[in-house]
Amino acid sequence: MDQNTREELLRLFNSKLNQAMKFYLETCSRCGMCTHACHVHESMPQVKYIAAYRAEIVRRLYKRYFKKQGRIWPWMGESKELGDVALEELYEAAYSCTGCRRCMVYCPHGIDTQMLMSIAKLLLVGANSEPEILTLLADTSIEKGRSIDLLKTSFMQGVKRLEEEVVKKWKTEAGETTIPVDVEGASLLYVALAGAHSIIPAAAVFNAAKENWTLSFFEAVNFGAFVGDPTKTKLILDRIVNEARRLKVKEVCICECGTAYRVMKQLSGKQPFAVSSVTEVHARYIKEGRIQLDRFAFKDPVTYHDPCQIARNAGVIYEARYILNSLADDYREMSPDPKYNWCCGGGGGLVALGDETLDFRMKSAKVKAEQVNDTGAKILSTACENCHTQLSNLNDHYKMDVRVRFLSSMVADALVQPDALS
Amino acid sequence: MDTIIYIILVPMVYAAFGIFILGTAMRIMKVWRAPKHSTTLQIYPEQKPKWLWTLNDTFLFPTVRRHYPVHWVFLMLFHICFFLLIIGHFELIDDYRILQIIEHEVFLGGGYVGLILSIALLFFLFRRFRSPVRELSVPEDFYLILLLFLTVVFGSEMDWARTWYGYGGFAVEDYRQYLSSLLYLKPDLPDAATESGHSFMLILHVFFANLFLMFFPFSKIMHSFFSLAMNKLRRG
Amino acid sequence: MSEEIKADKVMDLRGMPCPMPVVKISKGIKEVEIGQVVEAHSTDPGSLTDFPAWARTSGNEILKTEQDGDVIKFFIKRTA
Repeated sequence: MDQNTREELLRLFNSKLNQAMKFYLETCSRCGMCTHACHVHESMPQVKYIAAYRAEIVRRLYKRYFKKQGRIWPWMGESKELGDVALEELYEAAYSCTGCRRCMVYCPHGIDTQMLMSIAKLLLVGANSEPEILTLLADTSIEKGRSIDLLKTSFMQGVKRLEEEVVKKWKTEAGETTIPVDVEGASLLYVALAGAHSIIPAAAVFNAAKENWTLSFFEAVNFGAFVGDPTKTKLILDRIVNEARRLKVKEVCICECGTAYRVMKQLSGKQPFAVSSVTEVHARYIKEGRIQLDRFAFKDPVTYHDPCQIARNAGVIYEARYILNSLADDYREMSPDPKYNWCCGGGGGLVALGDETLDFRMKSAKVKAEQVNDTGAKILSTACENCHTQLSNLNDHYKMDVRVRFLSSMVADALVQPDALS
Repeated sequence: MDTIIYIILVPMVYAAFGIFILGTAMRIMKVWRAPKHSTTLQIYPEQKPKWLWTLNDTFLFPTVRRHYPVHWVFLMLFHICFFLLIIGHFELIDDYRILQIIEHEVFLGGGYVGLILSIALLFFLFRRFRSPVRELSVPEDFYLILLLFLTVVFGSEMDWARTWYGYGGFAVEDYRQYLSSLLYLKPDLPDAATESGHSFMLILHVFFANLFLMFFPFSKIMHSFFSLAMNKLRRG
Repeated sequence: MSEEIKADKVMDLRGMPCPMPVVKISKGIKEVEIGQVVEAHSTDPGSLTDFPAWARTSGNEILKTEQDGDVIKFFIKRTA
């Protein structure tokens, strides 16, 4: 690595050094309390998968370049030169961590390993060593924001063709639009994913609840956050923020995508609209009596996988249970305390890397498969696209014999139709 | 030899405290002046009142208790004894009525504080020899435990000799004379400190304590100041 | 009638979860020579905006988009 690259990378490193980050870099006592926190370590017990070890890979560079101890007495803290070997280590640490923050629950100081890994990811971006597909996906999202006017018409045509499917789940009354798009003054802007499965059930439930809603042009997922590029994260986020402001909506509802929800909820700053997840909105509809669900719609035992970015890291926990208890006969809790729920093993961009990470994802999430099996449930419900993909892969790999379902689509399937009500 | 003893017992103590206080203050300032993180770093579900749970997390280590109960016992004993030890040293400077609410002999704990601390430190040291903590450790971790252990052992020996074996060559008054003279910037070494049979214990105790204090601001022991703030971040 | 485009490779991306269609096409396009054409089948309405945006970002060219029932067919020429 040449001097210029190193200096540029250290500048990036420095840009991440806010107060919280300094706390996390200064404080680890390497006590090892986090040893059994990480699903990767529990499935494949190797020291390199312990949270403190991952963190130390970043911390060694910090000691070398930002701390006197590392300059005066480099071997004392085993500080390390930033070079090609260090980059390889950073890659392995960052892309074997899903950012689930389960280790944060174990740490006596509350060190956030995901934050520390964000330094690793940013350095990899700076050195052009990040998984290029994630950057490509992020750039595609940004490009979509730039050229939306050119793409609007074809998007609207595409959406129109889904309406038939929506009506099968909930009949729209005459004069109502089944999937409204670009409606100024709507109450709620629904930000979905590119797939039909993310739009159809949600649309049916919105229509059943007589919501004044509109569908976003943009997909919710933020690949900038996966690859750890703050500039791209912001650009991708701003597309939705600007759309919400233009349409003057009161609420932005994020589809079942953990990263999208956490980024929107926590990074969008103070805005004239509220941010909610589709799970929260559905729970609200049930509570307010705006939708009626068949209490016994699902007879088989159901369990729920808490997506880390929605539950442990953003606090939507109770709502999912409320929904499931309104439509399933036999709901089974997966972990007595939701903050100890295992990560599915697909976060942090690993699922988006597709087949490339499949082997690792399957091996590293053995404990998740066991946790699901222990419930004896036949339906595995979740509220995140990433988790859903990963859990479906696990289901095949470990022959778990469960049906992996999106919570929102279970709600749509449990809707009590108006003719049944009368 | 006298010069070396003098250097350890007087100028090095001042240097150690200077580095400790200035270094710690500077490190705290440096971290505090860094920009705040723009988003919440909270873990859910949340429990209220948040400040009370933060104190609980910081001082009672509930996550350690849950996952490593044996380690938790040593950790609690270590931190409680460390705190008692600091109070004990204040009493070696002067008498404080407030500290005598529960009447006791100086030094606090009848020798057991030091004993428990030594055992806890040995526990911390030996667990670092075992995988996976061995692989997580860096030399700093061993250096700190070793310094603390040596400091505690030599310090405790003086205490044990007085309390358990009735050694009278080095009395509480002698310690008070030495420590208060340092505090009032009129260093005065009593004969007991330099001439008695136990003076080597004092010299080694002070020497290792000095090294520990000088390394403190640059080490992970800064968690004693940062842990509360970090736990607050986690609690939101 | 527009001229029939002959594809050198056909990719079935129907029913794939987000963001697999774009991931697959990015990899798939690299498996043909520059100047050759990939025909990709998707069922996601989002790909109607994703694919053009991806093509602009990656510097490839979408020759034609056609709807066949539920399936959207993209004809993409590798130009980069």
